[in-house]
Amino acid sequence: MENYIPTIGIEVHVEVKSKSKLFSNSANTYGMPTNTAVNVVDLGYPGTLPTINKEIIKQGIRAAHVLHCDITRKMHFDRKNYFYPDNPKNYQITQNRTPIGTNGYVEIETNEGKKKIYIEEIHIEEDTCKSAHRGRVSLLDFNRAGVPLIEIVTKPCISNSDEAVSYLTKLKELLFYANISDCKMEEGSMRCDANVSISKDDKLGTKTEIKNIGSIHNVGQAISKEIQRQEEMLTKGEIIKEETRRFDDKLGETVLMRVKETGNDYRYFIEPDIPYLELDEDFIKEALSTLSLLPDELREKYTSLNLTPLQIEKLIANRPLNSFFLELLNYKTNYQTAANLLLEDISSYLNKTNKTLQDTTLDCEKLIIVIKELESGAISNKNLKEILPLLMETSLDLETIKKKCQIENITDDTVIMDIIDQVLTENAESVLDYKNGHDRALKYLMGQVMKLAKGKVNPKKASDLLVEALNK
Amino acid sequence: MSKYLDLSIKEIHELLVKKEITPLDLVNESLARIEENKDLNAFITINDKVLEEALNLGEVDPDNILFGLPIAVKDNIVTKDLKTTCASHILDNFIPIYDATVVEKIKANKMLIIGKANMDEFAMGSTSETSYFGAPLNPKDKTRTAGGSSGGSASAVSSNLVPFALGSDTGGSIRQPASYTGIVGMKPTYGRISRYGLVAFASSLDQIGPMTRTVYENASLLNALVGLDEKDLTSVNKEKEDFTRLIGKGIKGMTIAIPKFYISDIVDQEIRTRIEEVITYLREQGAIVDIVDMAYLDTAVNLYQIIAMAEASSNLARFDGIRYGERVHDASTVDEMYEKTRGEGFGDEVKRRIMVGSYILSGENAKTYYDKALSIRDDITKEFNRIFKDYDLIIGPTTTRVAPHLGTSKDDPHKAFMDDVLVIPVNMAGLPALSVPVGVNSNNLPIGLHIIGKSFAEATIYQLASALEEVF
Repeated sequence: MENYIPTIGIEVHVEVKSKSKLFSNSANTYGMPTNTAVNVVDLGYPGTLPTINKEIIKQGIRAAHVLHCDITRKMHFDRKNYFYPDNPKNYQITQNRTPIGTNGYVEIETNEGKKKIYIEEIHIEEDTCKSAHRGRVSLLDFNRAGVPLIEIVTKPCISNSDEAVSYLTKLKELLFYANISDCKMEEGSMRCDANVSISKDDKLGTKTEIKNIGSIHNVGQAISKEIQRQEEMLTKGEIIKEETRRFDDKLGETVLMRVKETGNDYRYFIEPDIPYLELDEDFIKEALSTLSLLPDELREKYTSLNLTPLQIEKLIANRPLNSFFLELLNYKTNYQTAANLLLEDISSYLNKTNKTLQDTTLDCEKLIIVIKELESGAISNKNLKEILPLLMETSLDLETIKKKCQIENITDDTVIMDIIDQVLTENAESVLDYKNGHDRALKYLMGQVMKLAKGKVNPKKASDLLVEALNK
Repeated sequence: MSKYLDLSIKEIHELLVKKEITPLDLVNESLARIEENKDLNAFITINDKVLEEALNLGEVDPDNILFGLPIAVKDNIVTKDLKTTCASHILDNFIPIYDATVVEKIKANKMLIIGKANMDEFAMGSTSETSYFGAPLNPKDKTRTAGGSSGGSASAVSSNLVPFALGSDTGGSIRQPASYTGIVGMKPTYGRISRYGLVAFASSLDQIGPMTRTVYENASLLNALVGLDEKDLTSVNKEKEDFTRLIGKGIKGMTIAIPKFYISDIVDQEIRTRIEEVITYLREQGAIVDIVDMAYLDTAVNLYQIIAMAEASSNLARFDGIRYGERVHDASTVDEMYEKTRGEGFGDEVKRRIMVGSYILSGENAKTYYDKALSIRDDITKEFNRIFKDYDLIIGPTTTRVAPHLGTSKDDPHKAFMDDVLVIPVNMAGLPALSVPVGVNSNNLPIGLHIIGKSFAEATIYQLASALEEVF
């Protein structure tokens, strides 16, 4: 028997980062007390009118750019009319006919190599309010009403759940990196619907829509399960109805929500309260000027700097560290060491103190001096741990910090050699043991050197010189 | 009983400056007149704080001719802490929590809001008979309509209860009642006055405007109302001008067009005769008056029905009983709550328009009707612009007949629109237009002259209107 071929399309909503909402000046925040980030516009009060937050249009331009879309130069908003208690005006202001971006793609890796997942369109729209049901009572939180969303719609070109997961992972990384959205699925700032159909030929089968899936992992699960369910139905000769389903992660299955009625009629028309927007080149340029390098561009760049794949992925996964690192690239220094410092000592300090790099006093110049002294042996890795708090929390220079921490390392090789000579003379027996192949003797001798130097030499340097002296 | 309100605003202002009277005297007189003329039903709500506001108005400003004057505000313009019903049961206890931008301007200019004027429910009607609170009467003949939808405003000014009123004009709702009651009513250019706080009927057509006893007083009030408002994206930034500046400057050399349609046999014979007398007079005064052909004027009513109702069906969706206004409490599902709340809350005409509007936007109808109407609307605008290449102003009668008897339009909803056949084309093109009384017919009923100007040429309209108001 021939196999069924699945066809999948994905719709993603992300909440856009901005100071204020899309059509009003109340705050765009998450986690505020219920109904505190609200004004008369968000409530759909009689007589109120939408204004437009240009920053969000810029975010739309950025999103269109990173998803390789054509940017629509002249656009308008439309009203999507439907009654629902979480929809304050009973129409949603969206972009139906002139989405800000069209014809884009996201490139993913598959087992058969690279594949482009084509984006049909992306558009800007407002979020609804959040409803909560308590027995016979329903409660509404308008903090979310009017929060800006970007909806990203793929063409039906995804072939399986793995591709869907790769696409979403990549999409999330791109939007997060372009600072467009936090993309936190658990907080609802990224939401995902999947349209699934299967067919044995070129004619697409009847699709079902799985709404609001809670994580990228679950999207993969939901799609696999839905394909399986549809296959079983068709094999049994049953007919698939166009319906809306949800993924129940406890059951591990998709569950029917409602059968779709004949064609939703949203009575779209052009929003008369918002004049047409014409995006000129300067405005677009300005929007794109704040875009930093995107993940794939970073990967290429960092590989050329000989960072390890692990370092590269770790840096990309941490946007504040990454932007610091990018800034560092304007200076000449040892980038591998820099990456190490940022990802190891500095990261763990930040984790411990629950801070971000931007909360500290560390800057590129300071870090470069630290790297230089580490390399010369003027400070040791152990010293680094001691000086880190002062380095990160004060504006003192490294010399002062070292003094405060009583770090006066002996950097002069001849002084270190004198100490080594003295140790070798006083421990002739151990020297002999070493020469007879007892490695433990080296550790002992090294301990004696450090003791005599009162810990003020760079251990690696001292160890190198010691081995050199022993092998003479 | 004092008779200060029979004086011109210039005379009233002099008395105020000389401290012979106070704003309190004006307010008291106005309240007494409203009480005496209760049968006119011009007001829905009286501002019970107005006496206090009059007392606290502060020192008279000799440069502000509007200081201390009572004004009526149409009840679809929101007033903070003062009931705003839109003449509808669904809002009959609605107390807004913010002021419309025009209301802020009225307060900033130290006028005193005496109350909220009666109107057609949600401004939908031509006789104000769709008001939940009953129709206002025409002071010139109490068996006749004061027009609509700004009938209460017209009735109040025409009977000298107040010197000023605000109306709103979506398809003639300022000019037609002004004509029926013998006062001056201006619908300014779309965008001239902020719509923020005007409860939307048809957003792309609605415009607030002044209704007054004389041309000069109209221009003076307009001075206070205009200006860019960041809360209304459709409001326009224009250099400040004094709209009274051309009043009394004569009309020699002015070029005036009269479209044939405006003097065709759809217009009552007595009115046509009066228009001919006006033409003769204008020519005597040195104006050039030509009769011109203008296409599309006869389509305006149909376009209006499509565009206004489509927009209205969406604008009125927010009245669902959830956030404000009346809500039925015996519903067991959300849908039942919507149905009962809106079924009981809205009157027949409003329901009819919402249904027609929803139908017009439904599925393919949106293309067949709405999109097509928008394109013909552009043609109307072009046609007006073509005439305005050669002429300063376009004139005609405001209405096809004098004020009809109450109760005669109710049975035929379509015929009611025909009352507005001459005024509606102006809204389609967003142009400014005014109705000025040019005498009375054989039954002593007022006849209005309709003067249409180029975009933002309100001052030129006043110039012509002022040349006629003393003569007829």
